[in-house]
Amino acid sequence: MTMTRDEATARARARQDLCGTVKTLLVDRLSLDVEPAVIGDDQPLFGRGLELDSIDTLELAMAIEEEFGVAITDDDTVSLLSINRLADHVEANR
Amino acid sequence: MTVTTSRTTTTGSTGADGTRAAAVLGADEIARLLPHRYPFFLLDRVTALEPGVSAEAVKNVTASDGVLAGHFPGRMLYPGVLLVECVAQLAAVVYGTGAREAAGVSPVPPAADTAAEAGGGGEDDAAARVGYLAEIKQAKFLAPVYPGDQVRLRVQSGARLGSLIAVTGQASVGRDVVMTARLTVTERPDAS
Repeated sequence: MTMTRDEATARARARQDLCGTVKTLLVDRLSLDVEPAVIGDDQPLFGRGLELDSIDTLELAMAIEEEFGVAITDDDTVSLLSINRLADHVEANR
Repeated sequence: MTVTTSRTTTTGSTGADGTRAAAVLGADEIARLLPHRYPFFLLDRVTALEPGVSAEAVKNVTASDGVLAGHFPGRMLYPGVLLVECVAQLAAVVYGTGAREAAGVSPVPPAADTAAEAGGGGEDDAAARVGYLAEIKQAKFLAPVYPGDQVRLRVQSGARLGSLIAVTGQASVGRDVVMTARLTVTERPDAS
């Protein structure tokens, strides 16, 4: 099935908006000293990258659940590795 | 399931499903759930308990508490950080009893002399499960706590991920809230 150009544009924009919302959420909830816009969609959030630590995983999971109503459990912690993975998880589960 | 212990006083409150009666735990029973001992065993009594979910407890502050000799001479005042620790210890009671209940044994380990006949597991497993205070996200100390005050503590267990558990807690004296805190605590990953 093919998408029209308008559909593809709308979908890309929705995805961009979702990633932007996740970035803002991340910066607000973890009190990060960075601008949400400078976080890359595929930038690693932990270790090198954004330098989150293991304790931040819980706050991030709680923030995603409160904002989108999507739970992150022990089975899908890989979803916490980047903005794109978080967005995939939210899109697949909400 | 009904929580029963050697000193249980069953109150009228029940869990959300209406089947679980809250229990009161005495200090000796709390001590079977925690690894903490004097001078760092801080809770006097648990007054309400829903294993794995929430609890309420009482802590009496007294001038004979050694910590008040140094905090401060001539101006005795219960340390705010110890109120945070009270919340953390009560959280350990919540998830320790929750884990025991999930494992199908009585939420509170029986006393050592009755453990064999009760067959409910030794007294060490719950205390051994207690992990670490991982994060103090937020703490507010709204009023000082003095000798003679009875501090009422309330803890609600929140989200879990891996060995991390989010906890919200509150301490009050009379009608006044004296402290609120949001913590992250851990269970020891090798003990579950």
